[in-house]
Amino acid sequence: MSDADIIQRIQQDLGGRAIEVTNPDRRRIFVKVNPAELLSAVTLLRDKYDCRYLATISGLDKGETFEILYHFASPAANINVRTEVPRASPHVESITPVIPGAVLYERELQDMFGLVIDHIPDPRPLVVPDDWPAGNYPLRKDWKYERPEEIIPGGKS
Amino acid sequence: MKFQIPIGPQHPALKEPISLRMTVEGEVIRDVDIRLGYNHRGLEKLAEERSFIQNIYLTERICGICSHSHTTCFVQGVEKLMELAPPRRGMYIRYLVSELERVHSHLLWLGVAGHEAGFDSFFMYTWRDREVVMDLLELISGNRVHYAMNTVGGVRRDLDEGQKAKILEGIAVLRKRSEYYFKIGANEPSFVARIAGVGLLTKEQAVSLCAVGPTARASSITRDVRKEDPYAVYDEMDFEVGTADSCDVLGRVVVRVKELLESYKIIEQIVRKLPEGPIVVKAPRKAKPNEVVSRYEAPRGENIHYIKSNGSEKPERLKVRAPTLANYPATIEMLRNGFIADIPLIFAAIDPCICCAERTVTLVNYRSGEETTVRLSDLRRRAAERQKNAPPKRNAVWPF
Repeated sequence: MSDADIIQRIQQDLGGRAIEVTNPDRRRIFVKVNPAELLSAVTLLRDKYDCRYLATISGLDKGETFEILYHFASPAANINVRTEVPRASPHVESITPVIPGAVLYERELQDMFGLVIDHIPDPRPLVVPDDWPAGNYPLRKDWKYERPEEIIPGGKS
Repeated sequence: MKFQIPIGPQHPALKEPISLRMTVEGEVIRDVDIRLGYNHRGLEKLAEERSFIQNIYLTERICGICSHSHTTCFVQGVEKLMELAPPRRGMYIRYLVSELERVHSHLLWLGVAGHEAGFDSFFMYTWRDREVVMDLLELISGNRVHYAMNTVGGVRRDLDEGQKAKILEGIAVLRKRSEYYFKIGANEPSFVARIAGVGLLTKEQAVSLCAVGPTARASSITRDVRKEDPYAVYDEMDFEVGTADSCDVLGRVVVRVKELLESYKIIEQIVRKLPEGPIVVKAPRKAKPNEVVSRYEAPRGENIHYIKSNGSEKPERLKVRAPTLANYPATIEMLRNGFIADIPLIFAAIDPCICCAERTVTLVNYRSGEETTVRLSDLRRRAAERQKNAPPKRNAVWPF
């Protein structure tokens, strides 16, 4: 099945839910959906397009919004589902009921971008330390690391 | 009575420190909890501050064993962004190093598996033979670990006729040795009995938990990016995807031995077909705003990089997913309902790199809060004892 056929089928199956379908490269298909319809779109892709393998989830800070990319791989193509949530209320539904292997990637998103994954089975931090100050999300573009001033015992001479 | 055993965070079996907390009932593991991030280096943030060329050397340092995998994955993505077509000779040399790296990684892993199963002569054999491929890598790149072969638009070093002859010679030696490993299970039934039925991961679990690489292929999933989504030179190569259907550590050994032989086949084809011509094209410093998903089959499984460019010489975003992370949820399932004595074996089976020999495990009695520290050697002694008591798995057969 060629990329054009897959895109046509996806557009038919998803109907109005697919806001934008692009194909920047061979075997790479990007589908944009609304966050409210993410779970149903992922369920459909899993059942009809054999997208049961989620490679990873990427987050992206676009200023006013956060973009979340779910990279699925089926034997036919690499289908990436894209959704955008506003920075003011970054809520997105967990896809773990459909793809149980997604939990680590969703936890990473919470740590790194401060997104709120609703109904995530395990909301604990994954990569940031236990004493990490609240409200610090390293992969947001406005976050800068400030190295604490070095204190030399006895002072510099 | 339930105990909890923490393993890590300083866990010498992994490059990244990791903490595993196991709830055990007697010798049986009932639940596993995983905690990461003890050595989070903020590499994705750092990559946004570096140019594409600098990022090649940054991604090379993600991992020591599969350093070439990360740079190749990154570079093939950047070449797409810059709309470059690297010369064919350069591509052949790049994927020649990839396959040599797979051989060295799998030989290393086979030795570790033998060591964890208490079969140390196997460990000595494979690690001796691994020197052959390490010498070849040094011959090609000048380095044993960080090869620094890749650059945007091709590779940095060429091959001459003498090197080609040496590679073919070395591969002939390795093939002979690997065929011996094929037979080793038939001569050594205790090794097969030790690894059969340990760390079960059914096909359904492997699919739903998104396992990758040899871990998934040992559960009869034929997913290999080289075959499924052939990048660069792999559609010109003749090779098979090695799978096994026993879903246990035995299957993971079988898959890796099969992959070794397939890699030798690919290496020989690359060396024999090596086209003439330049090895690198000049690359621009900037990339147009675009995005790319780059997939690569690393020795441990699929490696995926998502790169977004914004028209400058630095990437807007670089997302790296290394295969070990994808295998953690599956590892939890493998450890569940297994024995404490099988922890080293199961853990080694997802191919973390065991670089130190000693590690400690603390047993905490949750009623009294009493802690006992167990050394790895002690854990191995327990493993040997359990084997003595357990009846050998008579139905376990070496599949070759």
